[in-house]
Amino acid sequence: MEYNGAHNKVCANLLEDAKMNAKGFKKFKRYIPFYIMALPAIIYFFINNYIPMGGLILAFEHYTVSGGIWGSQKVGLSNFKFLFQSSDAFIMTRNTILYNLAFIVLGTCLAILVAYFLHELRRNMSRKIYQTIILFPSLLSIIIVSYLANSLLAGDTGFINTQILQPLGLESISFYSEKKWWPFILIFVHLWQMMGTSCILYLANMSAIDPGLYEAASLDGAGRWQCFFKITIPCLIPTIITLTILAVGKIFNSDFGLFYQVPMNSGAIMDVTQTIDTYVYRGLMNTANMGMSAAACFYQSIVGFCLVMLTNTLVRKISKENAMF
Amino acid sequence: MKKKLISVLLSGAMAMGLLAGCGSSTEGTTGTNSTATVTETKTSDKADSQEVEKIKVYLPTSGKFDDLDNVMAAVNEITTKEIGVEVEFHPYEFGQWFQQYSLFLSGTEDVDILANYGGYLNAVSQGAAYDLTDLIQQYGQDIIAMEGDFLKSGEVNGTQYAIPIYASYAWTMGILYRQDVVDELGIQDLVDNVKTLEDWGEVLAVVKEKKPEMTPYVRNNGSTATNFQYGTWDDLGNNYGVLMDGGKTSDVVNLFETDEYAKLCSVMHDWYLAGYTSKDIQTQTDGFPTLTRNDAAFSTLGQADFNTSFYQSTTCGKDIGTVMISTPAARTYNNVTYTIMSNSKHAEAAMKFLNFWFSNEEVGTLIAYGIEGTHYKLDANGMGDYVDGQDSASCTYHLGSGISNTNRIRWNTEDPDYSKLLIDSNNSAQKSAALGFAFDTSSVENEITQLDNVCSKYQIGLECGALDPETALAEFNEELKSAGIETVIAEKQRQLNEFLGK
Repeated sequence: MEYNGAHNKVCANLLEDAKMNAKGFKKFKRYIPFYIMALPAIIYFFINNYIPMGGLILAFEHYTVSGGIWGSQKVGLSNFKFLFQSSDAFIMTRNTILYNLAFIVLGTCLAILVAYFLHELRRNMSRKIYQTIILFPSLLSIIIVSYLANSLLAGDTGFINTQILQPLGLESISFYSEKKWWPFILIFVHLWQMMGTSCILYLANMSAIDPGLYEAASLDGAGRWQCFFKITIPCLIPTIITLTILAVGKIFNSDFGLFYQVPMNSGAIMDVTQTIDTYVYRGLMNTANMGMSAAACFYQSIVGFCLVMLTNTLVRKISKENAMF
Repeated sequence: MKKKLISVLLSGAMAMGLLAGCGSSTEGTTGTNSTATVTETKTSDKADSQEVEKIKVYLPTSGKFDDLDNVMAAVNEITTKEIGVEVEFHPYEFGQWFQQYSLFLSGTEDVDILANYGGYLNAVSQGAAYDLTDLIQQYGQDIIAMEGDFLKSGEVNGTQYAIPIYASYAWTMGILYRQDVVDELGIQDLVDNVKTLEDWGEVLAVVKEKKPEMTPYVRNNGSTATNFQYGTWDDLGNNYGVLMDGGKTSDVVNLFETDEYAKLCSVMHDWYLAGYTSKDIQTQTDGFPTLTRNDAAFSTLGQADFNTSFYQSTTCGKDIGTVMISTPAARTYNNVTYTIMSNSKHAEAAMKFLNFWFSNEEVGTLIAYGIEGTHYKLDANGMGDYVDGQDSASCTYHLGSGISNTNRIRWNTEDPDYSKLLIDSNNSAQKSAALGFAFDTSSVENEITQLDNVCSKYQIGLECGALDPETALAEFNEELKSAGIETVIAEKQRQLNEFLGK
């Protein structure tokens, strides 16, 4: 009897599976036109992002021109050693992660806030003007940004020292040799430069929110801030989560231009400006060692991949419909 | 189901990517092999058929090359006839060059001859340099005759990898200054009495007072090199373990712990405090030539030999004087060398061309200065000059002398006896005990990566005087030690002893 019951159960399960599969296949069939539409992008990613992955083998070998990518001597994990051997390993990892966390948290808050302000502007004209002004810095090359910063910060000629501090009778600050200013400077420059682009994403999402919701809320007596916290934010949650998961995946990578160019390669402040990317660049620029550079990138991607999986799992635990996959 | 399908697709794609990579690369290598054999057979029966081989030369330049095609046509007319080789030059601006150089070394571009600026050891350790030991005997007799012993500076462990240009081997640390400013202020006596870097402070004091719009001391290369790059020591390829006094003895010592280094740093720090340097010297990006051209700088430290004043006056467009801080010594290796890529299909042709370029005066002049009448003219003394109505900015071709040998016309800013003086200077100079030694870094790469990082943290600040050596130098040395400088020095000493046959 018991056996029969179990058998029935198995049968039922199989039947269910078959149904599901049939449904899945039907669903797949229905989506075929969409897959065809996505084909160019899939081909692009295949050629541009998947084929080069074979090159990861570089991280495990001592690359020589004569041996080529596949024939060079295999050296196991020894290319990875230099990343962990150094006494700076802790400093650069800490800087990379903390700066990125600050960028994610502050960047998201600020972008949403500014997007909301822009959204609330009634006149289309002024909204376009503000939006362009905010977006403009992200079009500038980081080299130009670094010189803009330099013209503000320089000791003998910088604007802050010559136009603000000296007329006030304050002692001038030598920014490029004092560590304490740099966390603020770097975060400020990053937000100033990148806010425009992330702001656009949120703004687009806000325009998609049903205006009826706001009308109903204001009829019920909700103020602007209440509308913001009770309607706008909840509607933006999926976008916020997606963008954050993507950003978390890159938490071990740093914006090389920002950390290398803006401090003008000044040694005295390196304890707060060194990140994994700049360390790898400084260490390998002179030796041009392909294997070690590949190892560093490999390590960054692996950690990034794990973090994406982890964040997504967390999100899925908390609210399933908001997870990316 | 959908998810499964996607993951199957993706992993399939990855596997195929790997296979595709494999496939193409094996094809590539067999392709290379077969062409190599073809070339061999070609060269062997070339004597009768006179087939022309094409080679590509990649090099950096600070000169002009807008009219490259016409010059190359003229060069090829000669080389095709004489050695059966057609050549294609690919010059790059310096800034771009340093970014592209690693890419060239990786062997992905079709390069036959590659210029190496500031050492060729990376090319060797990457396996990108062709073993020239036999080729040079076969096709490079003119080079051997010209360079003599100095050819050794292209060797690693007895294997010839690089061909150095025959330029000044003997140099030392020197102060480069604006001679016209010194004359104007009438302080030549003061300058004549300068024996050490410290003495120079007195000159700077006068300049600071009388010429407030001019920075008395600036860094030579902006942010691309350290302030003491051209030291009185022989740096043996990198600064981790050097021979002091231009290599009088073969004892490898830690430069950063020497009294001489501490002294130099403290002089710089005094100057920094006295305001002889800009407060922003650490982040200075323009080089001495640019600043001098704009009357913004008075002096700097640099590489100095018998020809420096001539050479720098041309580069800076101002009258430049030189004070050498010690006697010139011939160093381990030369700044500019040429290597043949290990994956070149035309190694023999490349060697033939190098030999021809290094010895034939007509081709030497063509490549350095272009076509007579179009890009340069000869003045009454038989010296080169810009064509009437043109100058260094409007001339359409002028690679200059930096990348070539002495087999060319003299430019009118040079000493007419330059090549004789050069040979004398090279032959009479004290030779470093390590002349011809090249440090193989492969066993200490991890240490060097860390040391480079420690240096980027302290070296610029210390050598510019922005950091106080009293405290920072000790910290610097501490960090160098924990990054393994002693391991590197020991390895260097071991290799040097082996090289010297001890």
